[in-house]
Amino acid sequence: MTDITPYQVLPDDAPAAVYARPRLLMAGTALASAAVAMGFLALIVHYVSERAAVIQTGEVWLPNGVTIPLTQPNFMGLTLAFSVISVWWSVASIRDNERANSYAAFALTFLFGFAYISQTAYLLTIMEMEILASERAMLIYAVIGTHIVLTLVAMGYLIVMLLRTMGGEFSPSYFEGVRSSAMFWTVIVVLYSVLWYAIYITK
Amino acid sequence: MASTETRTEVQGPGPQSPATFDGVLGSADHKTIGRLFIGAGTIGAIAGLLLAAGAAFEAVDLGGFTVAKDADEFTQIWSAGRDLLMFGGIVPILVGLALYIVPLQVGAPSIAFPRGAAGSFWTWLLGSGLLIGSYLLNGGPGGGRADFVVLWAAALAMMVGALVWAMVCIATTVLGVRTIGMTLERVPHGTWSFFVFSLVGLFSLPILMAELLLAYLRVRYLHLDVTLSEELTAIMDGVSYAPAIYWVAIPVLGIAADIVGVHTGRPVKFHKAAMATIGAFGIFSFGADVVGLASLRPVDFNNGFLVAGLLIASVPVLATLFLLGDSIRFGELKMRAPLFGALVSGLLLLAGTATSILGLVEPIMGIIDRNFYDGIDMTQTLVLNGTTFHEGIRAVVIGAAVVAAMAGVQHWGANLFGRRLAEPMGMLAMLLTAVGSVAWAAGEVLAGVADQPQLPSAELAGSGVEGFNSIAALGTAVMTAGVVVFGLNLASTALATKPAGSTPNQWTGSTLEWATTMPPPVGNFPAAPVVTSATPRNDGEITFSALLPSAAEALEKEETSSSEELAALPAGSGGSGES
Repeated sequence: MTDITPYQVLPDDAPAAVYARPRLLMAGTALASAAVAMGFLALIVHYVSERAAVIQTGEVWLPNGVTIPLTQPNFMGLTLAFSVISVWWSVASIRDNERANSYAAFALTFLFGFAYISQTAYLLTIMEMEILASERAMLIYAVIGTHIVLTLVAMGYLIVMLLRTMGGEFSPSYFEGVRSSAMFWTVIVVLYSVLWYAIYITK
Repeated sequence: MASTETRTEVQGPGPQSPATFDGVLGSADHKTIGRLFIGAGTIGAIAGLLLAAGAAFEAVDLGGFTVAKDADEFTQIWSAGRDLLMFGGIVPILVGLALYIVPLQVGAPSIAFPRGAAGSFWTWLLGSGLLIGSYLLNGGPGGGRADFVVLWAAALAMMVGALVWAMVCIATTVLGVRTIGMTLERVPHGTWSFFVFSLVGLFSLPILMAELLLAYLRVRYLHLDVTLSEELTAIMDGVSYAPAIYWVAIPVLGIAADIVGVHTGRPVKFHKAAMATIGAFGIFSFGADVVGLASLRPVDFNNGFLVAGLLIASVPVLATLFLLGDSIRFGELKMRAPLFGALVSGLLLLAGTATSILGLVEPIMGIIDRNFYDGIDMTQTLVLNGTTFHEGIRAVVIGAAVVAAMAGVQHWGANLFGRRLAEPMGMLAMLLTAVGSVAWAAGEVLAGVADQPQLPSAELAGSGVEGFNSIAALGTAVMTAGVVVFGLNLASTALATKPAGSTPNQWTGSTLEWATTMPPPVGNFPAAPVVTSATPRNDGEITFSALLPSAAEALEKEETSSSEELAALPAGSGGSGES
């Protein structure tokens, strides 16, 4: 049996460790989230200014025959609010080294995400609004559709981080990936609150 | 800190960047990606300038068509030139330069998210190909085929999105991968300007993407009448007009500061003041950009943010040049090509920002008209908005950015390729580009004063503006020649790129990119450099630490707190280090 001490495992001429400041992924995610938010808010600003211009002429904003019920948007908001709790639960679980809880929290967040998308699809169905009908319908679909796409991207990010968690990459001493994906998810939920007010409440 | 020091000198050549074709395709090395961006961006800039020259020569004779078949084709050539020069040329060159230099200047072994940066280049390249394809197939603004008008919007959004992603990598590198002791206020001016450029870009370009998404949906689902597709040129106006266009010129100030510091042997004395002026210039372009774009309408020049941007933007430019004046006056001035380019680009930017103040006459007169006078239309005093006046400002600001990028490549040539670019060709390229952009700008500004609209119309044939258009056309041709000379110089140097570490240091620069071998090996430095000021190479020999910065910082804090605790102990308590 060879006598290897921990100090002999690494050769003396091994390259230096790659150095990185902490929270690198957090910084990158924060910047990417800011860029995403700017793009989404630009769509909202366009929607609001278009709506104001139409209302100023004395016309009604929503296309003829289209109504937006409040029940679904409110429940969608509630669903996403719960998802924020579950996504930060996954972060707290990793921090506390409770892996089973973390997987459960990830699963719950996906469930809430799918529920949100499903409710949006149902809402669009009962709104009975043709995308080809008018500029207004197109704008509403553009804003809602963009948010759905962003939600799917956030879910993809969460899946990557779940797989990395399952691979043992994150631990109580390093869980930056999980935290950054939770931050991006939270930004998406905050953006929903803007959408909720601009489209579903003001109609 | 002494316990963390392992090596005191840079070792010889390390592993090299991949040189084979498949190696380049799969490389995530920031140096390879930076070179790819610079090379492809130069080709894009030449293509954009050729198209701009084609459109400018078409405007020389407003009575008929010579280059284009009809007005729609003219719009397409004009628009393609503008798109390619901006997002296919100058912005990718600056992004490439930033991807290459920023990690070296902050002492990082790599860019943050290297595979993301590589992905941004290939996505941008694909988007550029699709954009060119859309124009060739009768798409884009002025196009007659809806499918390819839609393709134009998607391709441009793809290019812009890819560049935004590269900017996330650059900004994150500055925020998160700085080496030990490299605080944010110690980063070189070049890196700082690229940081501000990236932040402004990633906050404002998504707004352009939102507009492109709406254009896509309108044409695709609402079946916008393609005969009206020339209205889509308004989308790019938001980023092409002053003060939003100043965004591409933010790195001009940082590159100039770095070059002046090296080629006068005297780094900018007031380091933080220069950082503040560069940041202020970014803010003035940013505020106007966001507000101007968020209106999502033809740019509203009565907007307060735009007025403020136009009015004040020349102040930080002037202040930065003033701060550089100290190095020029008291340093040992060596008029090499990079220094020539740095000074010329700064002056071009100053000329652009100062001239754009003329654009304020109309909104200011409007304010006076609304508040102080009745019945007198003061807004007609000097109507420049909506004319080619702003095309002229764009030309000179783009010219400043192109010359600064050339000066940067010339300055960091040894870092990039292991050899300097030919000095006389470099000088010639910068001179032609600067003269060309001034002539182009002068022609457009004068034609704007003579009321020529943004897209020249046949109604002005024989009115005298054609003379101004001739000056502009000549300017675009000269500027194109300048960029072609630069491209040839770049290609001849790049094709003879030396292996990593084979070239000694070229200049006596005080920042970290000069503290490694040239070109730098994979990993850039043998270990993390330890810096204690903004000019580490002037502080003596650079030391390198094998520890993680966080560990080193923790150690440093521990040492500091221990010594403070020891100092606080009463004498003779037995806790002294000497015991």
